[in-house]
Amino acid sequence: MLKPKQMSRAVIVGHKNILEETVDALHKANLFHIEDFNEDGSDLKIGKPFESGSEVSKKLVKIRSIASLLGVKDVAVEKQCPSEVCSQLDSSLDKLDDELGVLAEKKHVLENELKEIGSSKKDLLPFINIDLDLDLYRGYENLAVFAGHVKENVEPSISKITSSYELYHDQHSGAVVLFVARDKAADVAEVLAGASFKESRVPVLSGVPSRLLADIEQKEVDVTRKIEAINTEIEALKLKYADFILASNELLSIEVQKSEAPLRIATTESSFLIDGWLPTEQYVEMERTVNAATNGRAFVSPLDITKPDIKKVPIEYDNPKIISPLQEIMNLYGRPTYKEIDPSALIFITFPLLYGMILGDIGYALILLTLALAIKKIVSSDAVKPLMNILIYCQVSTLFFGILYGEFLGFPLAGYHGYPGLIPGFETIDLLATPFPGEVIGFPLHRTHLVMTFIVATVLVGLLHLNLGYAVGFINEKRKHGISAAIFEKGSWFVVQFGILLTVLGYLEMLPIVAGIVVFLIGVVMLVKGEGVKGPIELPSLLSNSLSYTRIIAVGLSSISIASTVNLIAFGMIWPPGSPIGGMTIFAIVVFLFGHALNTALSIIAPGLHALRLQYVEFFGKFYEGGGRKYDPFGYIRKYTEEK
Amino acid sequence: MVTETVTMMDPSGLKAIGAALAVGLTGFASAYAEKEIGTAAIGAMAENESLFGKGLILTVIPETIVIFGLVVALLML
Repeated sequence: MLKPKQMSRAVIVGHKNILEETVDALHKANLFHIEDFNEDGSDLKIGKPFESGSEVSKKLVKIRSIASLLGVKDVAVEKQCPSEVCSQLDSSLDKLDDELGVLAEKKHVLENELKEIGSSKKDLLPFINIDLDLDLYRGYENLAVFAGHVKENVEPSISKITSSYELYHDQHSGAVVLFVARDKAADVAEVLAGASFKESRVPVLSGVPSRLLADIEQKEVDVTRKIEAINTEIEALKLKYADFILASNELLSIEVQKSEAPLRIATTESSFLIDGWLPTEQYVEMERTVNAATNGRAFVSPLDITKPDIKKVPIEYDNPKIISPLQEIMNLYGRPTYKEIDPSALIFITFPLLYGMILGDIGYALILLTLALAIKKIVSSDAVKPLMNILIYCQVSTLFFGILYGEFLGFPLAGYHGYPGLIPGFETIDLLATPFPGEVIGFPLHRTHLVMTFIVATVLVGLLHLNLGYAVGFINEKRKHGISAAIFEKGSWFVVQFGILLTVLGYLEMLPIVAGIVVFLIGVVMLVKGEGVKGPIELPSLLSNSLSYTRIIAVGLSSISIASTVNLIAFGMIWPPGSPIGGMTIFAIVVFLFGHALNTALSIIAPGLHALRLQYVEFFGKFYEGGGRKYDPFGYIRKYTEEK
Repeated sequence: MVTETVTMMDPSGLKAIGAALAVGLTGFASAYAEKEIGTAAIGAMAENESLFGKGLILTVIPETIVIFGLVVALLML
C-alpha cells in the first residue's frame, strides 16, 4: 500500500543450447519482465527465433482466420488439456480448414448467383407490365424499337408524324415500347425526348416478362434457401469446433510468444543473456524455477538498480484487494513511478468521499447501488468489474451523505421551517447558527437552504485535500531530492498558508497584522528558493484550486434542481396533489420515471467526472508525477487450457 | 400640470439578471475554451489512448471559469 511493489533487476546467462528450456521455464513462471535488448552500441546480437516459430505462426494465422470466419467469440469454456489439443491439432485443423473451405466456396458461388439474379430482375422490371415476348424486341431490318419510360402520353404527337406504328404504353408506370419505321426514327426520337424519354436496356432473354420474372423469383428463393442451409452448416461447425479453436488459438499464441522470445534477448555466438525485472519477493522462486529447468546450467544473478534505471523500473501495484479497483483510475492518469507514493489508497478514500458529497441522495444511491451490483453479477468482463466496484464504493458514500442531507430523489425527507418533508412528522432539528443570515446548520442538512455555508465548507474541504496533496508531495520530494528540497518546494506552501491564516487573524484584530505578513513573505521566499520564478506565479492557484472545490455544492445543487423539477412537473403540474387517480396519474408516473432515469444517468457522469477532476487536477497536481511503465511479465494467463 | 410616472426597477430582479449574466457568460467562456481543448484532446487520444487522463485534465481546466461564475451568482442572490 502507498508504494509500488519492490522490484529487482536480474540477468539470466547460459549456453545457447539451453535457451529453449530457459524461455520455457520463464514463460511458465510468468514473473520475469524482459527488458528488450537493443543492439545499438553493443557487441552482442539479437537472438534468432526458434525454428518451430514460422510453422506455428502459419497455423496461428490459419486458426485466427477460421475463428474470424466462423465468428467465434471469447466465452468461458471448459478448460482443456494442452497435450490433447496438441495431439489432434494438425488433423483437426486441416479437417476444419477443408470443410470450411468447401462451404465458404459454395457460399461464395451462391452469393454471386444471387447477385446476378438481382441484377437481371432489375433489368426485367421496366418491361413487366407490357405483355410482349422479349424476342419480339430485336432482329428487325426496317423497324426501330424504342423501349423505356416517358412522363406523358406520347401517342397523339407520334400519330402526327406517322400512322404506321405500334405503341405499348403502361399508364401506371410510364413504361413504353414503340415500334416505328426506321426512316421515321429520328423524328420520333425527337418527340420522345420532348416527353423526357429514358431508355431501358432490353434484357437478352426470351419469353414474356411476367413469366420470366416469376421464374427468376423462384430461383432467388431457391438460392437463398441454399445459402441459409450453408449458414446452418457453418453454425454447426462453429458449435462443434469452438472449444477447439479457442484452445488451439491459445496454445499456438503461447508457442509463438515463446518462439519469438529470442528477438528480445541478447546473444553471442554460443551464449545468451536475458535482462529483466521481477518483484523482489519472487526472486528466489524464479531462481529456483530456472535452475530446476536447466539443471543449474543457467545462471541468475541480481543487478544493482542504478539511478538512470529508476525511471525504467516496471511498476506493479501493491494494494489490498479492496483498493485495487481504484488502480484503474490511476492507470487512466498514468502509473506512479518507482520512487513515488502510489496514491491509490488515498483516492480510495477521497474519490468516493467527494462523489458522495456531490450527489448525496438516498434514492439515487440505492438505484445505482442495485444497478452496479446487478451489472457486476451479470457481466463477467474483467474491464467492467473494477468500474462497478468503484461505483459501489461511491454509492456507499452517497448513501451516507444522502442520510446526512436527508434527500430522496430530490425530495427533502424532513420538513424545514414550514416546507413539508417526505416523511410526515420528521422536522429538521436546528443545531448551530452560522454567520450567514437565515442559514442554520441542523439535521438533516438542507443543501438548498445552506448555500453560503456549504460554499465555505467545501472550500475548507478543498484546503484539507490540497494540503494532503502537499504533504504527499513533501514525502515524495524528500525521497527523491532530500529533506531540504522538500522543505523549500512543498513545505513553503504550508508556511504561505499559515501566513495567510495569521494575516486574516490580524485583519480581525486578534493578532498584530505584521506577524502574518512576515510569515507569508518568509513562505514566498522559501517558495522562490524551492521552485524558482515558477513558485510565485503559482501562488494564485491556492485561491483558484480551493475555490474549485465549490463545485461540490454547485454540481450537487444542479442535480437537486433537476430532480425536484421532475418531481414538480410530475406531482405538482400533471397530477396535482389531491386530484383523483386517472389517466393523468399514469402520465405523471411515466414523466417521473423518465426524468429520474435521465438524472440517474447524469448522476454517474457529473459527480463522477467532477470528483475525478478534483483528484487529477487539484490533488495530483500537488505531488504526482506518474508515467511509470507497466510490469508486464513474460508469460500468458491461460483461459481455455490447463496444464495438468 | 405634468405628472411624472416614476418607474422603479425591482432590485431583486436586477440581482437575478446579474446572477444570470454571471453564470451565462462564464458558461459561454468555459464552453468556448473547452471546445478548443477538447477537440485537440480527442485528436491526441486517437493517436495514443493512454493520453486520456491528461486530455481530461486539460479539457476541464477552463471549467473553473464557470464555477467562479456560479459562486459569484450564488453570492449575489
